[in-house]
This record gives sequence, C-alpha cells and structure tokens, in this order.
Amino acid sequence: MAAENFNEKLQALLNSQMEMELAKKDVSNKELTKVLTFYIGDQVYGIEIPYVIEIIGVPPITVVPGVPDYIKGIINVRSKIVPVVNIRSRFGKEEIEFNDRTCIIIISTGDVSVGVIVDSVADVISVTENHVSKTPELNNVNTSKFIKYILEMDDGIKLVLDVSKLIDEHARDEAAQ
Amino acid sequence: MAKVEAGMESMLEMYIFETNTLLEQLDEILLRTEDANVFSEEDINEIFRIMHTIKGSSAMMGFENLQHLAHKGEDMFFVIREKPEIAKDAHFVYELIFEVSDLYKAEIEYIQNSGDDDYAPTDFSETFKKLEDATARLKAMESGEQATAASSAPTAQSADTNTAAPTAAADEGAMTVRVFFEDGCKMENLRAFLLLTKIKEEADVISCYPPDVESNADTAKEIVENGFVVTFKGFDNNNDAVIKAIEGAVNVQSYEIIDTPAAQPKQEEKPAEAPAPAAPAQTAAQVQPTAQPAAPAPAAAAQPAQAQPAEENKPAQAKEKSAVAKAQEDIKKANGGQKQSLISVNLSKLDQLHDIVGEIITTESMVIANPDLEGLELESFSKAARQLRKLTDELQDTVMSIRMVPLAGVFQKMGRIVRDMKIKLGKDAELILEGEGTGVDKSIVDNLNDPLMHLVRNCMDHGIESSTAERKALGKPEKAYVKLSAKHSSGEVIITVSDDGAGINCEKVLAKAAKSGLLAKPENEYTKKEIQNMILLPGFSTNEQVTEYSGRGVGMDVVKQNIEQVGGTLTVESEEGHGTSFIIKIPLTLAIVEGMKLQVGATIFTIPISSIKESLMVNDNQILHDTKQGEMIMIRGVCYPILRLHEKFRMPTKITNLEDGILLLVDVGGKNVCLFADRLIGEQPVVVKPFPKYLSQYNIKAEGLSGCTVMGDGTISLIIDVNNLISTN
Repeated sequence: MAAENFNEKLQALLNSQMEMELAKKDVSNKELTKVLTFYIGDQVYGIEIPYVIEIIGVPPITVVPGVPDYIKGIINVRSKIVPVVNIRSRFGKEEIEFNDRTCIIIISTGDVSVGVIVDSVADVISVTENHVSKTPELNNVNTSKFIKYILEMDDGIKLVLDVSKLIDEHARDEAAQ
Repeated sequence: MAKVEAGMESMLEMYIFETNTLLEQLDEILLRTEDANVFSEEDINEIFRIMHTIKGSSAMMGFENLQHLAHKGEDMFFVIREKPEIAKDAHFVYELIFEVSDLYKAEIEYIQNSGDDDYAPTDFSETFKKLEDATARLKAMESGEQATAASSAPTAQSADTNTAAPTAAADEGAMTVRVFFEDGCKMENLRAFLLLTKIKEEADVISCYPPDVESNADTAKEIVENGFVVTFKGFDNNNDAVIKAIEGAVNVQSYEIIDTPAAQPKQEEKPAEAPAPAAPAQTAAQVQPTAQPAAPAPAAAAQPAQAQPAEENKPAQAKEKSAVAKAQEDIKKANGGQKQSLISVNLSKLDQLHDIVGEIITTESMVIANPDLEGLELESFSKAARQLRKLTDELQDTVMSIRMVPLAGVFQKMGRIVRDMKIKLGKDAELILEGEGTGVDKSIVDNLNDPLMHLVRNCMDHGIESSTAERKALGKPEKAYVKLSAKHSSGEVIITVSDDGAGINCEKVLAKAAKSGLLAKPENEYTKKEIQNMILLPGFSTNEQVTEYSGRGVGMDVVKQNIEQVGGTLTVESEEGHGTSFIIKIPLTLAIVEGMKLQVGATIFTIPISSIKESLMVNDNQILHDTKQGEMIMIRGVCYPILRLHEKFRMPTKITNLEDGILLLVDVGGKNVCLFADRLIGEQPVVVKPFPKYLSQYNIKAEGLSGCTVMGDGTISLIIDVNNLISTN
C-alpha cells in the first residue's frame, strides 16, 4: 500500500545518500560518470552516458514546417518518432553535408527524446573529479549556455554538454536573445 | 496546507476516480427512486454503501469536510431506512442529496485542479445545517407515524437487522480474535476498519474494540498497543473462512484467537457490544423505543445497559433467526454476488498498447512483403504468414474493443439534466435511452459530454412546448420525451437526440437569420433542410428570452464545433409540430484514419479521405487570378481558391506548374479549398501519432498538421488537418 511504497522510497533515498557520502571520501580518483565524446569540426564535445539512448546513422529525415532551422525534422527510430536537431546550427556554426561518419545520438531526459546530429562519434571516456574544471564565464552565449563542465584530459579539452539545457526550451529562448 | 499526506499522493487519483464513479451511481439510483417515488430496501442499502465508501475513503485521504458531508447524508438516510415510506413525496430529500452530490463533484474537481499548497477545504457547514434540518424533519415525520403504527413496529424492525449485526444469535459459535498490524504501517485504525469490512463478507461481526475505528484516528495508538479485538460469527458457523480472511489481509502481522465457540464466556469483560456496521453514531437510532426487541444499539457504548441484549432477545430469537438468514442473503447479494470482474487501467497504457499493435501490424507487412523474398517459393512461410495475419487482426480488434466504452455513462448523466430542467421549467418530460450499450472510443466519449448536454438542454428548453395544456391542445400526450439513442453503422456511431416537441418553425428561422444577417443567398432559394441547419450557425437563437439554460446564441455552433473536433458531423431534422432530431455521426475511433497519401517534393503527406471531395487535373485556362495574385479555379460554375502545399509548408519541389501536379478539392464544414500537390500516391489506413513532445513548443498544429504516421516502409508521413490548414490561410 501507499505507506509501504513510501517506506521503500525513503529507504532507497537513505541508501543513495549513504553512497554519496561514501563517494565523497575518495573523490579524486573515483569515476564520476562516463562521457560519450564526439566531434564537431575539430572540437570535442561530450554527453554524459546516462542520457544517451543509442547512436544511429542518419535515416531519411521528414521535414516539419513551422520549426526553427536547427530542427531538421523527425525520424522513425524503431517505431518511435524522434525530432532531430543539427548541433552545428544549434551552436550557430555552419552546417556541413552529411557523410558516412555523420551520426545521430539519441538522447533522452525521461519523457523527451531528441536526436542530435554530430560530425562523428569519438569515444566513451571515464571521468574523475580530477579532470573536471568549472565552466569559465565565456562571452560566446551560443555555446557556453549548453556547457555543463569542461574536461581537461591528457589528449585535450572536451566540453561536456548540459543535456537538460539542450532540450529545454527556456535555454533555447535565452540563447536566441 | 498540503492537499494530502505525504505518501498518499499516489492514492489521490484512485480516490478521485472511485468517488466520481460512486457519485454517478448515486445520481442514477436517486433518479430511479425519485421516478418510482419509493425507496426499495436494496436502493437504500446501495445508497448507504456508496455514502459509506465515500466517507471511509475521504477519511483515509484526510478530507474531513467531505467525510462529514457523507456522514450527515448517512444520518438522513438512516431515518429513511427505518421507514422508507416517509420518503414518499419528500422532494426536499432528493433536492438535498442532489445538492450534496453536486458539492462533492465540485470539491473533487477543486481538489483535482488546485495546486498542492493553495488547496483549502470548502466549508460545508451550510449544507450540514440543511442536512440536519432534513434529518430532524424526517424524524418528526417518522415518530408521528410510529405512534399510529406501533403495532407494526416489529415487522418494520426485521428489515433493520439487515445491516445491524444480529446480536441475538451472537452467543452461539462466536469467536473473538485479537489482531496486530505490522509495525509502522500507519493509520492502524483505518486498516482495522478495512479488515472489519473484509470480515463482514465472511461473518457477522458482533463487536469490535476499539469500536469507532473509522472515525476516530486516536484509536490507532490503542490498536498498536493492544491490538484490534473483534468478535464475530462466521456464516454457516464457518469461522475458518474468517480466519483465512484475516490471514490474507494486508498489513496483518499476527492474530490470536481469544475466544472460540467452545470456550467463550469472556464477553462481559468487553466494554461494549456495539454492532459495528455503518456510522457509529447514527442519531436516528436513539429515537427508537427501547422496547423493540432487536434494536441495533449504536448508542450502546454510552449505555452499558443495552450492552447485553442477549436476555432481552431470547423470546424473539426464533423470529430473529429467519431475519438473520435473510440479512446474510442480502449481504451476500451485495458483496459476494457480484465479484469484481473489472479492472481500471490507465488510459496512457492503453494508448501505448494501441501504438504497439499498430507497429506490429506495420512491421508484419514489412516482413511478409519483404523485397528479399520476392520470387521465392515459400509454401510454409506463406502459411505461417497467413496464420500471423489472422492473429494480429484479432489482436487489433481486441485492443480496439478494450478502448471502447459504452455510451451509457454519458447518457445517464443526461437524466440528471432532464430532471433538473423539468422542475425549473415546469415541463413534464421523460428521458428515453436507447442503445446506451453502444461502444465508442474512450477519447470520443470524453468529448461527447458537453455537446450532448447542450442538445438535451436545447430540447428541454426550446423543443418541448412550454405547457402541458399546449400539448394537450395539439393532441399530444401530456408527458413529452427527450430520446437519446445510439447505434453503430459502418464504422460510425450515430447518436440521435430527439424530442416530440414543437419542431423547428422554418419561417421564424429564416426571418431571424435574415435579421441577424446570416443569409448568403435570396430567401426563397433555401431548402427546408438548409433552413433547419441554420440553427447551428454561430449567433443564432430564436428564443426571445435568455434563460438560465439557453438563449444566448452561443451553444449550437459550439456543439457543432465540438463534434467536428472529434471528426464527427451534426445535422438537424425537424418536422414542425412533431419534434426535432439532432443527428450526430462520429467515427468509431480517432486513432486510425483512412488516409490519402500525396507527395509534395520529398515529403509524403496524408489527408483524411473524409475531407476530400474530388481530385482533378487542370488546364491553365481554368485558373483565375484575383487582384492579390491569388489563384482560383472554376469547377462546375463554382470558384474555389487554390492552396499550394509546397508554398504553404515551404517544401522545395520541382513541380510548381499547376498543370503538372494534381488538385484536391477538400471540404471542411462547408469551406472548400483546392490543395495543390505533386502527385497522389494512394489510399491507406494510418495510425495517427502525435508529434514528439520536444516539438510541442512550436505551433505545428496551427500550420495545419495534426500529427504524423509511420508508413509501411518505415518513413514518416505528416497528416494534414484540413480544418486548421484552411483557417490559418
């Protein structure tokens, strides 16, 4: 019954809090999360793995009228209809022709799924506290709005995107202003 | 203040659903009994059950005001139960209970719509007062009657034992059990109450301690400490069944048997022999003369003298026995007879199921008609494929039928409207229902309520003659009728709302339309049918006076719009002097549309076939241009504007010359437009899917697209909503 559920939830909450406490103790080399990295031009971006549903090639895209240019249309991913965003034009960059390496990363925040068109997928990397540096106050509104944090890895800098902002309409409106 | 206790939120939806269903049942019973002008024992018990369930669940959810409201209602019916005859012609009872029912509905809607923090329980004290007054009035009537009919008291009494536990028979075969609930399960008192209800299905509950579990939250502590003690006697002396019920109950940790039928003289120790059922303090019980043998003694807790009714009862035992048997029968009828074979399912789950089935069917044809298989001789494959097709067809039918709900629910609500208006307008009319078992897709049923309400009101207000004398003079029966009927007809449901009233006066309508400037051609060119359908135009009302119910000239056009929104049509048929019928035709389901696929550039669009009138190829010389460079076409002497889909949706295409493409003449609600597309592909039934959530921030619907669909080859087609397409243009 309701009370049971409630107790279960409480227990789960306590457990997760305990885990977090434990995690705090040896933060520095413990894995925070995994990040899927991808290229847009020469720059490496990342999306945290928990948001990623899958990576697919570019299927035929059905254009939908009445939406901003960066929304390329809708696609059919195993019978689910998913809108696709070209991240290049989303960031105010020039779009390029799709090639064999062009991919769509399907990301989801619970009830909303979006496909993101990227130049190519690079790798899945483990992120620890050591790698993370805070977002600098950049002037480039177009991209910095969407950056959650920056990773300084041995092989270069990677920008991890904030998926909820990428999907959320308010961020879009702010970015547009 | 938070609406509900933490942890109860998940129950709220269930509570709202359940209470609404119960209220509808209540309305239905009341309408029936009011018509018959007598409460049968069964009806009263049913009303009691409804009130009681509402009271219990409201208490559990912590809505005290609602709990008290139900309690007061119960009080009133307690008096009626004692003497059903007194409710005869007591219209104030009905008024009041209908009012209570309305208050409930309003409050529940309020609970549903208000945020967590801004909810403040409505104060019902005024209604409490009215209920108390009514109860007192009934009591007065009852005692008046009782004085004259004292001799008949015992027979009347036997009915009472129905719900009051038969205390007399208690001594033989009774069993006392102490139940402990799981630690920390909260609200032990209500759990005890639930347990009690469960036991009642299997046994007569003789007593329980604490006695007032469902209304007194303080008893929870007591139960935690000392357990919940209940004495009962199983039907047919079958106490094992009860023990099983206790074992099976939720949250019960342990129980001990204190008293068994063999050894039982412990009873005096118990504080009270309060018969457990229903309300603990049913005030009416106190009015009863104590001389009545089997007086259900709810006041017993306060009057220990009544606590041992056994001696008093002995002489009456024989009589009592038969009453007990009857009571048990009744209880069984109420509880066991109709074992629940229904479950309620969240609609979104059904939608999901429906979607999946749609997918399976598309995927199936992708597999069976796979290009890789072309030219191969596959005997057993085709056999298996046929089998699969058969099964998927069956699956689809089943899923569709799950979403179908009978129209009875909506229809029965209309009974209430007819009743209310009958009283207010002083007209004599009855509601006749026909084919209320007809099933329609749930999404459509939800949209039918308002239009039907409007139409029924319209029939009552405008349709039916204002006095019975008028009807008599016309040679019609005094009692008018409003008839609601429903039937299936080739993929459509036809719902007719008709009355046997005055009908539509064509001259009046025409004059009024002329006055309101609604005429588009000379008066004498209108046919009867056209004139009758004029009443559906916006801003039309022939009724001189604006009444509470109708006459503002909005309504009929809104009804029409509402029905068109679910893909239906509304027409009027009337015979002056004999009545009017409103005929609603709606598709069985919204989710699957018979569509015509057409290509514009690289995109495939689907248009519902129902809105297409014809398709045609044109010559340039048929095209006319207006002053703003708008294109028009002359077809059979009528001029239609041309809408180029590639321009409208900004889709690049090579075919821009009207001669190379195709024109589709579409018609929605009397508006006609020619759509220009590259080419037609063919007909196909499509499963309509909404656009993904991410796109809902953009107004795609206003662009004239209602959704999308996945086609056999996996590509997506956009579905055109002609109505929006035309209105945004």
